[in-house]
Amino acid sequence: MAGSALRRLMAEYKQLTLNPPEGIIAGPINEENFFEWEALITGPEGTCFEGGVFPAKLVFPADYPLSPPKMQFTCEMFHPNIYSDGRVCISILHAPGDDPMGYESSAERWSPVQSVEKILLSVVSMLAEPNDESGANVDAAKMWREHRDEFNRIAEKIVRRTLGIPT
Amino acid sequence: MAEQGENMNKTDTAPEPNQDELILAQQRQIEKEISDSIPLVGDKEPITSLNNEYSADNIYLEKIIDLSKKYKYIRRTRPDGNCFFRAFSYANIERLLGKPDEFEAFYKIAESSKDDLVKLGFQQFTVEDFYDTYMEVLKRLKNIENLNDALKELHVIFNEQGFSDYMVVYLRLLTSGQLQKEHDFYSCFIEGDRTVADFCHQEVEPMYKESDHIHIIAGCAALQTCVKVIYMDRGIGKACTEHDLPEGSAPTIHLLYRPGHYDILYQ
Repeated sequence: MAGSALRRLMAEYKQLTLNPPEGIIAGPINEENFFEWEALITGPEGTCFEGGVFPAKLVFPADYPLSPPKMQFTCEMFHPNIYSDGRVCISILHAPGDDPMGYESSAERWSPVQSVEKILLSVVSMLAEPNDESGANVDAAKMWREHRDEFNRIAEKIVRRTLGIPT
Repeated sequence: MAEQGENMNKTDTAPEPNQDELILAQQRQIEKEISDSIPLVGDKEPITSLNNEYSADNIYLEKIIDLSKKYKYIRRTRPDGNCFFRAFSYANIERLLGKPDEFEAFYKIAESSKDDLVKLGFQQFTVEDFYDTYMEVLKRLKNIENLNDALKELHVIFNEQGFSDYMVVYLRLLTSGQLQKEHDFYSCFIEGDRTVADFCHQEVEPMYKESDHIHIIAGCAALQTCVKVIYMDRGIGKACTEHDLPEGSAPTIHLLYRPGHYDILYQ
């Protein structure tokens, strides 16, 4: 059903181009291959990630949207819900059965009526409000909880790097 | 942009062994074994074929005797969490084949269903492909005059993963739509402080999520049809328990429930 996946991804791309959500740009890296997208996410205002522009890659499975894509930041990141290699770990990227992180049962899950837009909006919320219960990056979770000032300093450094400003 | 990303200094790039991923990989392996060995929807088999599964279990064997007085055949479905929706969707279309008037009436219900979902707030582009597939299948079957050919075609369609899963998704969406449309009624059956919409997003719309009573009742209402569920478990008594859903209705679809799984029954 890669044909259905392609049709759906084209529809989503069109939708995102016509009505782009604030602070988010996303689309296929190369229009020959709709199964790999790049996204640029602006750090939410009023948070330690404000002003940053964070690039990420989304890779879609052949049975999308039955299964969710995978998402990975391609810039340096330091965040409780992002693995050190950039992979994003939030509930909307998981089907309900895939529960290694023990998300709250009320958390939003992947289903075929979710979309790239909803994932990216969830990632923006995640940047604004880390979930320190899910330890994709335990050091970051601990620092977020116990040494917020230090966390904010690291975040600020990352923000400057994404903008190419010397740190 | 990618270049910029690669030039970043990473403090810790060595991939650590991840227990969660190992667990998931094992789960995938089990799912693969199931999908390699059990078709999405099987052929009709005599009800006594159930005996093979319970050769050393007297409680079940006695219940199979009871079951065989009422039903001649069973059609097994793959236990992948979608079994209720797949069985229900299959049996619902199967019962309509060879009955042009009833088929037409159902076709009309299905045809207008997408607009209802969009009105309820589903985004059009997320619903469209599933709706189109559902209608395409109905159209294909409607145009086959010979009943046996139509039954064969239905079976082929439901064993093609792509079509079969899209039929499952659309029925999940219709069920979710029904629950949300009648949320005042259904909210009484939802435990905890989840709203009906939350429940739908977490328990109905995602694939592989197993079905409960509430899914069945809403599914019946969405397709305007009635189901008899025969419960067979290791509980006391020689007979299986029966439930007509909705209560007091005349069921046209018969399903066998064993803890965690649904199959189709035929009289």
